[in-house]
Amino acid sequence: MKCDEIREKMPDVAAGLIAATGDESKHLATCDACAGKLAEFRQTMALLDEWQAPEPSPYFDVRLQARLREEMAKPQAGWLQWFRRPVLATALTLLMGIGVGLFFTRGRGIYNPGPDQSIAENFGSVEPGSAVSDLQALEKNHELYADFELLDDLQVQDDVVANP
Amino acid sequence: MDRGVLMASVGSQPSSGLSPAMAGMEFSDAEVMLRVRTGDQSAFDYLVQKYRRPLVGFMYRMARNTAAAEDLAQEVFLRVYRSRETYEPSAKFTTWLYRIATNLAVNHARDTRHERPEVTVSIDEPDEDTGATFEVPDGTLTAEQAMVRRERLLAIRRKVEALPERQRLAVIMHKYQQMDYKQIAEVLKLSESATKSLLFRAYETLREQLKEFV
Repeated sequence: MKCDEIREKMPDVAAGLIAATGDESKHLATCDACAGKLAEFRQTMALLDEWQAPEPSPYFDVRLQARLREEMAKPQAGWLQWFRRPVLATALTLLMGIGVGLFFTRGRGIYNPGPDQSIAENFGSVEPGSAVSDLQALEKNHELYADFELLDDLQVQDDVVANP
Repeated sequence: MDRGVLMASVGSQPSSGLSPAMAGMEFSDAEVMLRVRTGDQSAFDYLVQKYRRPLVGFMYRMARNTAAAEDLAQEVFLRVYRSRETYEPSAKFTTWLYRIATNLAVNHARDTRHERPEVTVSIDEPDEDTGATFEVPDGTLTAEQAMVRRERLLAIRRKVEALPERQRLAVIMHKYQQMDYKQIAEVLKLSESATKSLLFRAYETLREQLKEFV
């Protein structure tokens, strides 16, 4: 038997929870280090025995019974009990707030869809060359057409003779 | 520890008599707990009577305060009562009980970490550890011997309290609750070999640090 094997059991042997087996006893008889360690452990255990805990006070049972009666008087926790928990109530309120907020701000702000999207949404898929398609093209290329108008104006300027 | 006989003298609460079906019969604690689940109040009283002393002792060594120890032990029983409907005897009853107790004790220790007064020795006040006054700790001891004894008790308490949390729990369960490695391992959710090693280290530390008092 190795020293490590018996040392693991030493707390139990020293505390008197188990007795050393035949092999262990033989080892202890021949190994001074292990025998010495076990003797020291026994002394430590005896010292630890001095730390006594007090008995429960005479009021222990009375107080426990009172607490139990309070416990029994409490209503049974049903599924509605979940909503009485502060964290859950706060989370639920927040979720409801966010939901209501999203509902009322849907037409504005970050959820306001762009003009292209609104036309597409309103008219769905349109046939190329139709009036709706032309209107969409006009709206999409509004800035470009504005530039064309500017060019037209410049054209007028070109017609002007520099040195009549 | 887990098997007992329900006798008529157990369960001394005036409001509850023992269930006639259980009196004189032998049940494991898990079986008794299953009776609690069916609404048998006397079964719960039996468990309280059986475990009140060990639990107060366990909590006392963890909380270092008699009043807090009793409060915490009562809270353990209340939690057992609250859990009666969901209780499943998958583990030994004492393992389950001490797991509840351990969680409560550890949380209490963490919550009150900064509130604890320094342990002091007073020759006028009763000892928090033993309840005995300095003058009469033991009729056979002289004043000097009594003082030495008190110093020794304080040292034991301080050294156990100074152990890392898991080591402290393991020592208290092993030394003072007489729980075996397997049960301690289950309560602390460790392997049995890790528990052996944890306990060996803890006792080595205590042996070394309490050497002067041996």
